[in-house]
Parts: sequence; C-alpha cells; structure tokens
Amino acid sequence: MNDSANRAETLGSPPFLSVRSVSKSYGGAEALRGVSLSVSSGEVHGLVGANGAGKSTLIRILAGLTQPDGGDILVDGRRVVADSPQVAGRLGMSFIHQELAFVPGMTVLENIMLGMPKKTRLGVVDWRAIAKDVAPIAGRVGVRAPLDANAKGLSTAENWLVNITRALVLRARLIVMDEPTAALSAAEAERLFSIIRDLRRSGVAVLYVSHRLDEILELCQRVTVFRDGRSVAELAGTELTRQAIVEAIVGGVVDAPAKRTSARVSGEAALSVRALGRAPRVKAVSFDLRKGEVLGLGGLVGAGRTELARLLFGADRPQTGSMTLEGKPFAPRSPADAVKSGLGFVPEERRVEGLILTKSLAFNLSLANLQSIVFHRTAPFISGARRRTLAERAIRDLAIRTASAEMPVGRLSGGNQQKVVIARWLASKRKVLILDEPTRGVDVGARAEIHRLIRDLAAEGMAVLVISSEPEELPDMCDRALVMAEGRIVGELAGAALTRERIIAASYAGAVERQEA
Amino acid sequence: MSDLPIGARRLSPSAKAGLSLFARYATILGLAAMIVVFSLLSPEAFPTFNNFINVLNQASLAMIIAGGLTLAVIVGELDLSIGYAASLHGVLVTGLIVHDKLPIGLAIAIVLGLGALVGLVNGLIVTKLRVNSVIATLGVGTIIVGLSFAYSAGVPIVAGVPEGFLQLALGRWLFGIPNPIIVMAVVMAALWALVERTAIGQEIQAVGGNPIAARLAGIGVDRIKILGFVISGVCAALTGTLLASRLGSGTTSAADSYLLTAFAAVFLGSATLRDGEFHVLGTFIGTLIIVFGFNGLNIFGAPTFSQYVFQGAILIVAVALSSLGRMMAES
Repeated sequence: MNDSANRAETLGSPPFLSVRSVSKSYGGAEALRGVSLSVSSGEVHGLVGANGAGKSTLIRILAGLTQPDGGDILVDGRRVVADSPQVAGRLGMSFIHQELAFVPGMTVLENIMLGMPKKTRLGVVDWRAIAKDVAPIAGRVGVRAPLDANAKGLSTAENWLVNITRALVLRARLIVMDEPTAALSAAEAERLFSIIRDLRRSGVAVLYVSHRLDEILELCQRVTVFRDGRSVAELAGTELTRQAIVEAIVGGVVDAPAKRTSARVSGEAALSVRALGRAPRVKAVSFDLRKGEVLGLGGLVGAGRTELARLLFGADRPQTGSMTLEGKPFAPRSPADAVKSGLGFVPEERRVEGLILTKSLAFNLSLANLQSIVFHRTAPFISGARRRTLAERAIRDLAIRTASAEMPVGRLSGGNQQKVVIARWLASKRKVLILDEPTRGVDVGARAEIHRLIRDLAAEGMAVLVISSEPEELPDMCDRALVMAEGRIVGELAGAALTRERIIAASYAGAVERQEA
Repeated sequence: MSDLPIGARRLSPSAKAGLSLFARYATILGLAAMIVVFSLLSPEAFPTFNNFINVLNQASLAMIIAGGLTLAVIVGELDLSIGYAASLHGVLVTGLIVHDKLPIGLAIAIVLGLGALVGLVNGLIVTKLRVNSVIATLGVGTIIVGLSFAYSAGVPIVAGVPEGFLQLALGRWLFGIPNPIIVMAVVMAALWALVERTAIGQEIQAVGGNPIAARLAGIGVDRIKILGFVISGVCAALTGTLLASRLGSGTTSAADSYLLTAFAAVFLGSATLRDGEFHVLGTFIGTLIIVFGFNGLNIFGAPTFSQYVFQGAILIVAVALSSLGRMMAES
C-alpha cells in the first residue's frame, strides 16, 4: 500500500512538490499558520480537514491564485514562486475543482483544449490533427463521449474525465483534485479511482482532497490532515486508519454514531406515490412514505432520484401516476402548491437552488415562514421582533455557527448554509420533508449534526425522504431505503438488510430486489 | 471546501469594508458635493427654498416612474415600456377628459387601470411566454407608440383642457407644497413599505435575489414578477397623467425621455447604501442626483447637447457603480 509512497525520496531525489511552513492571513484572520506537506511522483496523497481548516487556501496558493505570506514551495527541490495560474500550469500542476467549469456550447475536444495553444494548418486550427493527439489520452482516461460531441450533454462524471484528459494533455505532473466524487455516483467514483490508480502507475502525483474517508483510505498512500490552518498529522502505512484520521481532523476522540431504531415508525402513510412517471428519467415509481420514518433514496447519479423529488414537490409535473398526501389526492402544480399542502424541500445545490446568498440568514430562514412573522394576516407587515426570534431559535436549535442573524448567508460555511435551508422548513410544521443530498460538501462534524437533526425530525412524526449518493450514509440515517436505477425503484432495504454493500449492489444490479429484515 | 467563492479573500477585510463603505455612500456624497458646488457657483439662484421646492417638483414625475421601475428591476426584470406607456397614458387621460367629457377622477382611474393592464401584459409575456423582458417590453412599448398615434394621430390634445385637470399638477392643495411632491412622497413611501416591510416585499426581494431558490422555497415566482410589472405600469401611468396635467396637453412622446432618467436613477440608487441591490430609497436618492444635476446645468445655461451628455454619462456611471457594488457583495 505504501510501497511507492516515498519511492522517489528513497532514491534520493526530492518529492515533486514540497510545501514548507506556508502561512497566509487575510486581514486579521489566519487561514494558514505554517502548513507543510510533500507529494511525490507516483503518489496519491490525501488532504483532509474540516471546512475552514485551510485546504482551499493551500490549493489557491498552489494554483497561483493568491500569494503566501511566508514559507516555501518547492517543485523538484527548487524554490518556486507561482504568482499566476499560468506559472502554476508551467510548473506541471493542474487543478480540477469541485464545481467544474466548461463551455456548454463547445465540443468535448474544444473544452479539453480550451486556452491551450493549438496546431494550425494555414492559420486555421487543425482540429483533426489535434483530435488524433488527444484521442489516445482520452481513451486511456476513459472518456466515452465522442470528442466532437457537444459538452452540454456530458454528465458530471464525464466532465471529470474530460478535465483529467485536459490535465494530461497539459502534461501535468501533479493533479490536484478537490472533492472529485462529490457529484459522482458510486459506479462513476469507482471508475475514477481506477483512473487515479493508472495515473499513479504512470508516475503522475495526485493531491486528493476529500471529506469521504472511505475513498481516502482506499486510494491514498499518505494523508495529511489540516486543522485550524495547521498540518497536524501525516499518516501513512499502519497509522493510516479511519479512527486516526477522524481524531486528527477533530482533535479528539469521536464516538461512533448511535444506531437508530425504527420503533416509532407508524404504519400510516404520509405520502403515497403510485406509478408516478415523467419521461425520460422517472418510470412508474410507487412507494409509501410513512409518518415518523426516514426513508432513504439511494442509487447512482442519473438514476432519476432528483427528478422524482421534483415531481413530489411540484417543481415538475408527472405525466403518469398519482399521489396522495395523508389519504387525500395530491397533485401539486407548483412548489408553492406543495408548500401549501405541507411539504418542504431541501434542494441538492444549496448555493444555487436553496439560498439567496447576498441576503441575511434571517431573511433566508423567513422565506417559507412569512405568514408566521407578520403582525396580522390582514395587514401583512413583517414584525422585526418575530423575524429575529425565528432566526435566533433556529441558530440555537440547529447550532448554526454565525456571528449574527443578519450575516449574509453566502458567508457561512457549507454545513451552516445547509442547516439554514433545513431550518427554513422547521418553523412551520411540515408533514413531509424531502432532502436532496443534504450532506454534500459538508464537513464531518456538521454531517453528524445534520444526520441527528434528520432523525430528530422523524422522531417528532415528520415523514422524511432523504436522497443520498453515498451508500454509507443511508444505513446510519434511515429506517428504510429505496434504491433507484434508470428511473425505477429496483430495491427496498430495511433493518439488517440495510447496509452499504446491499445499496451498492442494488444500484448496480438494476434487477428487482426486495428484502425485509 | 470551496465554500468561499473565488476572489472572496483577495482584498483584506478592512480594505474591503472601506471600499464598500465608500461605494455605499459615494452617491450620497456626490449629491451633497453637487449641491455644495452649485450653491457656491450660484449663491443667489441655487440654494434657495424656492429652487429646492422647484427641483423636488420637477423630480416628482421622474421619481414616481423610477419608483415603479424599481419594483420591476427588483424582481429581476427590465421594463423598457414605461416611457412610451407614460406618454400614451398622458394622451389618453387628456383625450378622455377633453373629447369624452369624462369626469377628471374617472378618467384618471381608467388610465391608472390601463397602466396596470400594460404591466399585466408585460408580466404575462415575460413569465408565461418566456420572452426576455428587454424584448417583451420593447415590443409592448413600440405597440404602445402605435396605439398612441392611432388615438391622437400624433396631434397634441391642447384645446379644452379644463382648469381642474391643470390644477392637479400645478396646485398646492396641502401646506402650500406642490401636489406632485405630495403624490410622489405618498407613492415612494408606499413602495418602500411594500418592499421593505411586508411579507410580499420579502417575496419580491427573494425572487430578485435568486428566483430558483425562491421557487423551491414555495414562492409563486411568476405571480411576483407580474406584480413587479403591474406596479411599474401603474406608476408610469401616474407619471404620464401628472405630465399631461403639467403641460396642459396630451402629447405623443412627451414622456419618452423619462425612460432613460428612470433607468439612470434606479441604477444609481442600487449603488446607494447597499451593494448593488435595487431598493426604493436608493431610487429616491438616485433621482435627486439626476434632477439636481439637470437643474444645475439649466441654471448655468449649459447648452442642450451637454444635457444629453450628462444623461448618457450618468446612466453608464450608474450601471458601473451598481455592478461594482454587486461584485463586492458577492465576493
């Protein structure tokens, strides 16, 4: 596991990248207080830490987007100053970010070559010659889309592959990957891992930044842990365990989350879905969501889960099937309709779909609760005091870390932003709450809090539907889980059968599988 | 990881706070500086109570139409029909009174209703037919010009305008203050309260801030956008009516130039006190800056061309300040 980690160093040559005691502050805030790490060629090096630990800052420094205040960065043992992204690129470093940027109207090949010098023939870009050069690299990485296809149709996973291809075309010697699997399904992630292993074998160094410790443990030879702007641990070999990483991230011992019981689930269905469908992603889906139940919805990205959630919430209209809410017919024509009927929805992309980033926490919280903070229904003027009380209660109940209720919500960390979106639905009792990837991009601590919050809501009698692409998350949180594949529900797991392995197996199987405890 | 957007930390917090503070108060400082300079240059004509009342009076019509436009831009749309609509409504209200002999109050009520109708049409085209609001309102505005010609054949309605209608804009019914100022104050206060203090105002702000998030939070986004257009339409009709009363005639294209003034005022306003966010108080200050500017140019007898230069330049400066503010808010 650790054989090649220090191969380069044992041979006496310096690691590809060394970061030594790098510090950086912004105004009064110290983002980095002397971090060190090294990445050797042919190594996958993990970088973990809670949100705000300084990972992003280090990446920005490496990418030439910002300058360190102190410390050294060495490439091949030589001190370098990367003062622009172009210089960082010339040094052999390539960066693939969480939110991928690409130009939708252009072809795959044009996106790969974006901003790069291109072969020309008589002054005209010779795409055929370029394609001939790029095709083998794309093939090696596993890009299945034809190079002349429009990039608009690419899935997030394919986009990652396109970006890796781009890095290889640039002859990158170090690829920095920031939360690569955040938007990938388990199958796609597996494919990415095998490509990362290939990269490693061919001598490319990978700095792998992720919250997902399973992946870190599976892929990385060494792991550096950041906490509060310091590199607090470098783990390798037998020291490299989940327990050790978590303790280094948190700075103390962590208890295993309490396994839930499903005793309080009543038999009564809050939301019944029958043969619901909308081409092309949702096909004849039927299930019951019971009161007091946390129902998981697993499966691969693109299996149709988000599309199903949009039907339930009235964001799209079903073409077939029907629903009942507490026994009464339910056919929301818009999200506003669904809200009136007692549903709440926490969307997948909180920054884009969940929040008004420039507005305050209190403003964002109050949006679904305007009727509760006005003086009177007939004179709907907002009561500042009621709005404040609402916000302060949410901040306290959900332990939202913020300087004040008037803080623009865009300035909060990911976990706290997610809590705001969830909190919006708590003040007005919801019958059904649908959460789409509630813990994506959220740090370990906040994730545990969100899980606990979801279980508490169910304990109060709410019916909760949670979509998650992380198979390990569902058994912790849910009473029962459905697995979707290609628009259909292909598995139902509960009790002892509700395990990570079975969810993954069902996601891939595509075959109908029903197992009860 | 990347919870902070790129660029968030590029400036030091203190530098950012300073810059933001400057940007927020720059327009107000500009207004104050303008008043001081004009007062020094023309101590007997400019800084007098009468001139200030006069400027406010002039500003009132632009203020009302800009206040309405503010609602349209807060919900994230542009309304280019307001100038033409105001002209048409000016012609219509005079026509209804002079030709159709309708009581003044009824004529005004009809015209304000038609203003709401124009807004409703704009809103429906934008939300239901999914036509970009620039194109939709440009189209509706052009149709309105046509209707205006159809109604009046381009001939101003001058003769037979009753004194009662003229008194609407020229009278001083309360405390000796010109009526347009009173109307403007009421309209602006109502708009401000609507946006800043009511539940529907929160929805209006949410739709402007992020329509996707607003929709998924259960807000009827289309309904709110239509409301923005309707308010913009009613305010345009009100400005058109007051202008016809002030001019004593219904003239095609009389109010067309309010379009640019209103846009400049709204964008200047968005750079005022808040980082690039449209708001009613900002529009109030933005309009004052523009009207005081024009007033100063008039007092000094600046040639006509310079007024166009001023108007164009201030529009560009206003939009630039506004997007600068927004950039800083997002970083």
